[in-house]
Amino acid sequence: MTREYIDAPPPVALGNLSATTHDAPPVAKDLTYERILDAREAEPHNWTTYYGDYDGKRFSPLDQINTENVKRLTPAFVFQSGSQGLHAGPSTYAFEAAPLVVDGVMYVSGWDGFVWCLDATNGQTLWQYKHAIPFDVSLCCGNVNRGVAVAEGKVFLATLNAHVVALDAENGEKIWDTVHGDVRAGESATVAPLVVKDKVIVGSSGGEFGTRGHLDAYDIETGERVWRCYMVPKPGEPGSETWPEDGEAWQRGGGNCWVTGTYDPELNLLYWGTGNPAPDFDGEVREGDNLYTDSVVAVNADNGEKVWHYQYTPHDLWDYDSNMENILFEKDGRKLLGHFDKNGYFFILDRTNGDLVSVTPFVDRINWGEIDADGKVTPSIYPEKEGEEVHFFPGPAGGKEWTHACFNPETELFYCPVQDTGSTIARRRREFKEGMPYWGAHVIVDSEDMKGSVSAFNTSGGEAWRWETDLPMCASVLTTAGDLVFAGEPSGWFNALDARTGEHLWRFQCGSGHHSSPTTYSVDGRQYIAVPVGWGAWVEGFLPGMMGGPHGSGIFVFALPEE
Amino acid sequence: MATAGQQELSAVISELGLDHQNKGTIGRLLNHGGLGQAEEGSDGRMRIQVRIPEDELTYSPSITVMPHAGELEIEFFNDDTNTHCAQVPSNGDYQWIWLPNGSRGKVTVTLDGPGYYWYNSNIGNDEGRGLMGAIVVLGDVPEEARLDRPPQPRP
Repeated sequence: MTREYIDAPPPVALGNLSATTHDAPPVAKDLTYERILDAREAEPHNWTTYYGDYDGKRFSPLDQINTENVKRLTPAFVFQSGSQGLHAGPSTYAFEAAPLVVDGVMYVSGWDGFVWCLDATNGQTLWQYKHAIPFDVSLCCGNVNRGVAVAEGKVFLATLNAHVVALDAENGEKIWDTVHGDVRAGESATVAPLVVKDKVIVGSSGGEFGTRGHLDAYDIETGERVWRCYMVPKPGEPGSETWPEDGEAWQRGGGNCWVTGTYDPELNLLYWGTGNPAPDFDGEVREGDNLYTDSVVAVNADNGEKVWHYQYTPHDLWDYDSNMENILFEKDGRKLLGHFDKNGYFFILDRTNGDLVSVTPFVDRINWGEIDADGKVTPSIYPEKEGEEVHFFPGPAGGKEWTHACFNPETELFYCPVQDTGSTIARRRREFKEGMPYWGAHVIVDSEDMKGSVSAFNTSGGEAWRWETDLPMCASVLTTAGDLVFAGEPSGWFNALDARTGEHLWRFQCGSGHHSSPTTYSVDGRQYIAVPVGWGAWVEGFLPGMMGGPHGSGIFVFALPEE
Repeated sequence: MATAGQQELSAVISELGLDHQNKGTIGRLLNHGGLGQAEEGSDGRMRIQVRIPEDELTYSPSITVMPHAGELEIEFFNDDTNTHCAQVPSNGDYQWIWLPNGSRGKVTVTLDGPGYYWYNSNIGNDEGRGLMGAIVVLGDVPEEARLDRPPQPRP
């Protein structure tokens, strides 16, 4: 007997079953490269690009919130998401993004392919986009995304399954979708894209799976790939002499580009940090310096050609990626950059040619080796013999993880979130197999005897002050012309410090640990501080002592009380 | 093709009552509702029918295989005597459909695997009782998106 069925109601997009309004004002339509270029000076109320400006300072000229009144800071609104169904990394998702704001509209990515467009004054969702992410995508370090780029009426997203997607900034509808990497090779994408001129720059992820790292540029109108720059050379290319001859090591050598770079428009150079060589801890299978891993690579923004490089950790045996920001600043008429590396040293380079200006330690315990004033690296403790454990500081998460330092041009100080944690590691050789983790070691990061700080350094590398914490600091810091530094803790506290003295001025408990990049903006004359909160990601690597910390999924936005 | 080991596993699961509701345990072990392969039409869209059998709280088949990335049309039939739903991942947003008792309805989603995805009935604890399904997308990424290196060994 044939059964008679009734018609089910038609399917709907899940976001339609919410208070989302499904449209946003066209504020991003005229957001051109030229506007982004001048944004800090011409429109300080906005945070238009990942670091707030191409120079990576994470500094805002806004000063309504200052050292005198910050104690009155209070939540303006909280945006919450939670998670839906069963998704990749159900225990590792984290909120790592830096919210962008253009004329009162916030654009922010979450984990698992989410992008939200919000009213930046009250958190009302204007639209959302959800890219479907495979459950089995290869992720070393959690289901995360560090943010979006916005320009020319579009929002650009790199997805965990290695696509680059352009969305209509007014409604979240997809405009183009280009495949950026090979998930079967262990590639993914977590980086916040960077728009430069008519291109959107996107780097690869997958360093723990033996990929070959690359930086790509896509046409912002069509999604067509304009150039690709591999960070591990093929035989015969410059730098190939730093890899074994006649070997296969270069094919899976790492050097991924999973954190947004900075850009000098006068020199037309991108300063992009590269990740660890692969396998992370087994150097015997990749003799040599292993260029261009663990480096800053100055790349011509028009054609992707390498112009110069500086390798912070040659022949890395400690997982000391150098993806972290290279902050551009000027001193005595020189164009310089500052970089806090995982290896525990603070480097200042001449950014016109890569010459070392100074190198100084920024974390108390460093025993993996030493870097002298000339930049010469002398390793001391490293995994060498099969199965024999060694213990070294800093552990593989580094003296500072990917989370960002900042620079305040008014105090002329850098502020760095410091992690002082060690790790026990033994070499464990394994064959390379595509798509499988390729570390060459077992790893146990310390859960005790750890500490952290926000430390301030002058432009010569001298420490000006530090604010010490019991737990390592695992979130980006933000500085403002209000003479403030904002810093989130793994315990959930969000703090304001006096940028000149380090004095603790204010804190708020957000209920989950911080592992994101707070930003600031103003709308109709009211300044806001926005911080995504959601503990997770590679906690076993940077702070296993907080593996049991509460998961969260909110954006807390603070302001002074309205009069 | 199921191997002898897998057939043996299925037999043991059935023997233990894990492929039934309130038998071996309270609900039904996830993803033991069979496997079906979506068929590609002349329009390029892949299609499959998925049923919710009475008192089984499972999608049948609970594993849908797409031969490659693209559009998938799932026609759901709820043969159960309770109301359920389906929240299916798709680029842009999840597609969500009510499935009242004795109803049928179609959902079309876009998935750009390779990889596999979960969908579910996100009401009550339908998910925990067994109403979670997998969509497996076979294939490779386009040639131009692959790394410039010789073919590598795989597991």
